[in-house]
Amino acid sequence: MTSGYFEIQNISGGYGSGRVVRDVSISIGRGEVVCLLGRNGVGKSTLAKLACGFLQPMSGAVRLAGVEITGKRPSENLTLGLTYCPQERVVFDDLTVAENLSLMRTDRRLDEFEPYFRAFPRLCERRGQHAGTLSGGEKKLLSFVRGLSEGSAMMVIDEPTEGVQFENVVRMAELMLAQKEAGASFLVVEQNLTLVDRVADRIMIMDHGEIVLSAPASELDRQQILAHLTV
Amino acid sequence: MEALLFTQGLNVVFEALILAMLVLGLAVVMGLLNVLNIAHGEFIMIGAYAAYIVQRAGLPYLLAIPAAALVCGVIGLVVERCLIRPLHYEPFETLLATWGLGLLLRKCVELGFGRGYRSVDIPIGGSVSLFGESYPTYRLVLMLVAVLVLASLFVWYRRAPTGARIRAMVGNPVLAEAVGIRTRELARNTFITGTALAGVAGVMVAPLTPVEPFMGLTFIVNSFFALVVGGMGTVSGLFAGATIIGGLQSVLSAAVSPTSAYIAMLLISILFLWQRPRGLFPRP
Repeated sequence: MTSGYFEIQNISGGYGSGRVVRDVSISIGRGEVVCLLGRNGVGKSTLAKLACGFLQPMSGAVRLAGVEITGKRPSENLTLGLTYCPQERVVFDDLTVAENLSLMRTDRRLDEFEPYFRAFPRLCERRGQHAGTLSGGEKKLLSFVRGLSEGSAMMVIDEPTEGVQFENVVRMAELMLAQKEAGASFLVVEQNLTLVDRVADRIMIMDHGEIVLSAPASELDRQQILAHLTV
Repeated sequence: MEALLFTQGLNVVFEALILAMLVLGLAVVMGLLNVLNIAHGEFIMIGAYAAYIVQRAGLPYLLAIPAAALVCGVIGLVVERCLIRPLHYEPFETLLATWGLGLLLRKCVELGFGRGYRSVDIPIGGSVSLFGESYPTYRLVLMLVAVLVLASLFVWYRRAPTGARIRAMVGNPVLAEAVGIRTRELARNTFITGTALAGVAGVMVAPLTPVEPFMGLTFIVNSFFALVVGGMGTVSGLFAGATIIGGLQSVLSAAVSPTSAYIAMLLISILFLWQRPRGLFPRP
């Protein structure tokens, strides 16, 4: 097996002593987008947290560009080029939209966010408001923009389109594809096939903590995917 | 009469500024980290003892400031590591733990120095004539230092992103790690800053008050009142609380009696806790 840019190798883990993810391996190449699908509660988010250092795996390893990052803290992983966007509590509610974006920058001007503001004008209009006042979908957009703007070579995004309007999902896909062209890789946990259809190179389906299907996106049709997603 | 009013006015400003300095460390730890450090008064006490030791050793009094900051900072480091972090910065758990820590620190100082009062000489003697009334020079210098410290902290808090990062970390620690904030270090440094500031405040008040192991109790009470009235986590709240509590205490102590001043402060604080628990200028 050729080694990918981002490698999850035989990861098992969960919360406390509960094993939610069982012996999962995923290898993602440069500029590849892998979409991870599955019903609620099968361990997708847990896998994302294990991969990014928010949970310590019971066994297995994670590698980024050949360097083992298992057990490293998320803040350290970010400096190595691994960005994570969580599924829940995606923004800092007490900070303004602008502060959410500029929090870790020395420059408080938002010039570099112009392209994102063009795609999502709503965020620009609301930049002075507390992020807590945004709708669920707007918060997801803010989180997505924050994540993309890190410019990391590897991004793990957990359900980025939850509550997001259709036309904004389409724009998210366009922005992702532009970064993919520049060589960025993605692991996207997703339920929304609108996004998956547009960005996925490979689709993986998870059930009961294991990967049950992995195939190039071109070889799967909607019916096959939906069959796995419905109970 | 006018001159007397002027001196009284200066005294009110003095009390407010000194209280603001005394509250500062608590405001950082409680307002930003949501940890009510009940041992805050004991850190002030240790700062005062540091001043006493430096003066007794015949060293320049200014040296007491870095010495107190260092001693209180190191104790703060140990406390954060062994007490606050293992309790996950939980408000109630850390309140109980720091209450116990206060007892321990008082007893440790009592072991080393005894219960007796120590006095620290006023390092800058003399007085300045202001509009025909003489006013102690040390008080004026203290006011100047307090204004400088508070103003620079205010500017730093507004300009540097650290304030927003601390708020972000307290509100959402998981996301804070995700955006690259080294949350463990940031929380630790914030806590240490609070204890070191308490030590520096201790050096400032040491010449004005008897230095003894239990001196911290009054300070923690007044500081807490000021925070309750002013509101947590904002600079305006810190100033408002210190001015109201410090000023009121100064005026009522002079006009009526220290006891009635204390009762008035208690009543105001109870009223605030009951009717406006977030204070005058809470964090939005």
